[in-house]
Amino acid sequence: MSIPEPTAEPTQTYEQAREELADVVRRLEAGGLTLEESLALWERGEQLAELCQHWLDRARERLAAAAPQD
Amino acid sequence: MTSPSSPEQPWPVRTVARKVAEWIGRLGEVWVEGQVAQLSRRGNAATVFLTLRDPAADLSIPVTCPRDVVDRPGLELAEGARVIVRARPDYYVARGSFSLRATEIRAVGLGELLARIERIRRLLAAEGLFDVVRKRPLPFAPAVVGVITGRDSAAERDVLVTARRRWPAVRFAVHNCAVQGPTAAESVMAGLRKLDADPAVEVIVIARGGGSVEDLLPFSDEGLVRAIAATRTPVVTAVGHETDTTLVDHVADVRAATPTDAAHRVVPEIGEQRRLVEGLRARARHLLGTRLEQQERWLESVRSRPVLADPQRLLAGRADDVAALRSRSTRTLTHRVEGAERDLEHARARVAALSPAATLDRGYAVVQRADGALVRDPAEVGDDERLQVRVAGGRLPVRVDRSGTGEDGEP
Repeated sequence: MSIPEPTAEPTQTYEQAREELADVVRRLEAGGLTLEESLALWERGEQLAELCQHWLDRARERLAAAAPQD
Repeated sequence: MTSPSSPEQPWPVRTVARKVAEWIGRLGEVWVEGQVAQLSRRGNAATVFLTLRDPAADLSIPVTCPRDVVDRPGLELAEGARVIVRARPDYYVARGSFSLRATEIRAVGLGELLARIERIRRLLAAEGLFDVVRKRPLPFAPAVVGVITGRDSAAERDVLVTARRRWPAVRFAVHNCAVQGPTAAESVMAGLRKLDADPAVEVIVIARGGGSVEDLLPFSDEGLVRAIAATRTPVVTAVGHETDTTLVDHVADVRAATPTDAAHRVVPEIGEQRRLVEGLRARARHLLGTRLEQQERWLESVRSRPVLADPQRLLAGRADDVAALRSRSTRTLTHRVEGAERDLEHARARVAALSPAATLDRGYAVVQRADGALVRDPAEVGDDERLQVRVAGGRLPVRVDRSGTGEDGEP
């Protein structure tokens, strides 16, 4: 079981990040990982969550910018 | 009212003339059918004089009318023509002459006219010029609308004013021309050619107010109908009253009931469009908003999952395992140590039990021969043999001296 590469590629789309995050959570919950693996996986999860959050915040800003008199 | 006339108080000629005129006026407007007996057009005089004869009763009535009523196209009035005339009795007081004042003259041959139009219609229909499949859709919001109509006609005003109100950005390419009479068809076609050739013009409206069958005759002209069929630009017709149908209506891409209706057909109404666009924009933003909310909720749920939110749990789990293992190992270790201690105790006890020290302490002694063998029976030992006696305090070399008596074993 390969340990996911820690840095997220910049061109990763929101959907890709979200899919991978879902997968990370699934694997963590499935358990059966070495301590090292689960730690690395957990870090990856945090990173992906941060990325998704960033995407959504920016989308929210763009939506607000588009129609200020919302 | 003047007093009744009498020899003593006769009415002057003017009164009599006026009264006759009044009486005659009471007849009102009438439609008269008759035959043109005499027709005199003196040069380009404004008024034309003719005599209407009743062929069945050999009577006739003088008729006067404006020149254009007689010169109306399609009428081709000639002596002997059977006509129906819309007129009003008129008493020319100055000369005391009576005549019918005509406002419209129709050739009785109207039936032929309509028949002729019908023949053309069937011909063109057979050629498929009126097929629905040929009808082209109108552009949604044309930048330039071509308009073919009579100069300063009500039709022109209706189209332009209505269209501008609905879509202020619209521009017009107006071709004013004759919309009645022998030159009408040709001039409409000329307009059509000009506007159709202009790429900026995206739709052409042919607009004309109401009129008699003859007035609208040019709009059933075969050449004009074919010209419309051949245009590149879609054509909207608004000719005559709603009830009138001319051949151009059949070939047009869209037949509007009135010039105002034509304006409604060719340009959208800006307020309505703005509301439509606003509505769509709001809906799009709403959809996007809900989609975003959905994603945010999903992310929140994922981030609150224990594996992510509370990684210590992972470690804690591990720490517990380690702690558990450690305590287990310590426990097993202590057991083992205790076991070992117990074994030691036992061993020591056994050693103690086996070891003569205690017995020696109690005063016993252990006798060993030189080779270490224990002496259990005096018989084993020879006289003068050197023995070792181990007492609690230590060892004692001795020699057997049987010179005495009292060896065990003798009674």
